[in-house]
Amino acid sequence: MARSERPDPHETGAAAAPGAAFAALLEDSAEELYDGAPCGYLSTLMDGTIAKINATLLDWLGVGREEVVGRKRFTDLLTVGGRLYHETHFAPLLRMQGEIRGIALELRRDDGGRVPVLVSSVVKHGTTGEPLLIRSSVFDARDRRGYEEELLRGRKAAEAARTQAETDRARLQDALAVLQQSLLPDVLPHVPGMETAAHYHTASPDRLGGDFYDMFPLDAKRFGFFLGDVCGKGPQAAALTSLTRHTLHAAALHDADPVAALTTLNTVLHARYAGGGDPRYCTAIVGTLETDPATGQAAVQLASGGHPPAIVTRADGTAEFLPTPGGLLVGIVPHARFAGATTVLAPGDTLLLYTDGITEARTGADRSTLFGDDALLAFTADHAGRRPHAVIQALVGLLDSFGKGLDDDTALLALGVPAPDQYTETTP
Amino acid sequence: MSPLKIIVKDAATGPLLELVGELDYSTAPELRELLPTLPLQPGRRLVLDLSGMEFCDSSGITALIAARHHAQAAGADIALAGVPAHTRRILHIVGLDQIFALHPDSDTATRS
Repeated sequence: MARSERPDPHETGAAAAPGAAFAALLEDSAEELYDGAPCGYLSTLMDGTIAKINATLLDWLGVGREEVVGRKRFTDLLTVGGRLYHETHFAPLLRMQGEIRGIALELRRDDGGRVPVLVSSVVKHGTTGEPLLIRSSVFDARDRRGYEEELLRGRKAAEAARTQAETDRARLQDALAVLQQSLLPDVLPHVPGMETAAHYHTASPDRLGGDFYDMFPLDAKRFGFFLGDVCGKGPQAAALTSLTRHTLHAAALHDADPVAALTTLNTVLHARYAGGGDPRYCTAIVGTLETDPATGQAAVQLASGGHPPAIVTRADGTAEFLPTPGGLLVGIVPHARFAGATTVLAPGDTLLLYTDGITEARTGADRSTLFGDDALLAFTADHAGRRPHAVIQALVGLLDSFGKGLDDDTALLALGVPAPDQYTETTP
Repeated sequence: MSPLKIIVKDAATGPLLELVGELDYSTAPELRELLPTLPLQPGRRLVLDLSGMEFCDSSGITALIAARHHAQAAGADIALAGVPAHTRRILHIVGLDQIFALHPDSDTATRS
């Protein structure tokens, strides 16, 4: 009984609608399918004269059938650009291949508007193979054109942004290079009776260095010099380096005493940076040099603020640290104590200042050992008695040998009195 | 690379921070960000126990100085305990052993 109660889908009202739609579809005539298709259809004679056109395409063009059939050619429906493209590409290819697919053209509407379309055409041949007519289907490409234009606009914007970014990057690198150069002297001044040499190793071109050195005349007889290391890296470190360098230079011109110069720097840095939660400080060795033409000797006076001790190499082949114990980092307390030291450089002696990039380079197979103070002293002892340029050159070779173990900036400054027989040596 | 672990304790003298691992460029911000959260009263003492610190670079030294500034701003004192030999050497070179009270261990550092 249950089975017989099941409704017949073809008879009951509830299922009548899909059945009727299906039937209507079957009754749909080929002519109506052609005329009302969701794309345009067009048949032309081989000379392009329109023989048949569907209602959809007429609607897009905004014209009546009688205006085009037998009266116009396919090319008459196109924009000037479309017509040109048809003549130069579309028609020749169609003649050659017998068919052509998905060519983008623009239709000219009766009201002057344009409709971007994609046209596919095929040539119908007669029983003897002669071409009879061309059948074309025309798809509305307005959505697609809009999408393409959007893509194009997006690409142009991206290209413009990339060009701008490259310009900005080049400008930034120029600025960084200029700034980096401003932190170091172009050349060291000529000191009568002495030879000076310096080297700066930059660990990373993108991170502005934190080491600095300089040398300059104080008066007719004396020269001032300094070398140091500011905490941190990058633009803030560079700003601190600049402030430090100019403060030390000005302070030394005002009062040549190295302890006084460091004290002035300490006051300036503490006033500038101690307030915030981001302490900034530096280590530095500051000194003066006075040569005595009569003896050929140079008197050195220096002071250190938290900086590794200078090394003096002697003409007899020895090397020693010049201790400056108790000198505090510059800029962290309002009243800091700085330790002074003096020495005399005789002919063949050299004073070497360095930053801890060299002593803290990692050595050994697993790069776990620091190069260290003692190794640096031993290395310089091997080059004791040589001219400053030769000592710096040997140290640059040492830095190179560290390879990736050298991950910090390193500044080197050597001031020496050449031995009389060394004057004939050529400077490398 | 072993990361930094900071254990915060409450000693009789005030906050006690045990630093275990490496205090360097990548980990020093952890210590610096912790500082403002410490309850530090005037007259109290901030003690940093460094006996478990395996490595300390210049960024680590800067963080120690930031800790000192922070303690001073709060009217408090600061002390370092159990400073390893390598760091003690650096503190000596840069003169910081003169401005930090150094204690052999946290017990002596937290004795008022």
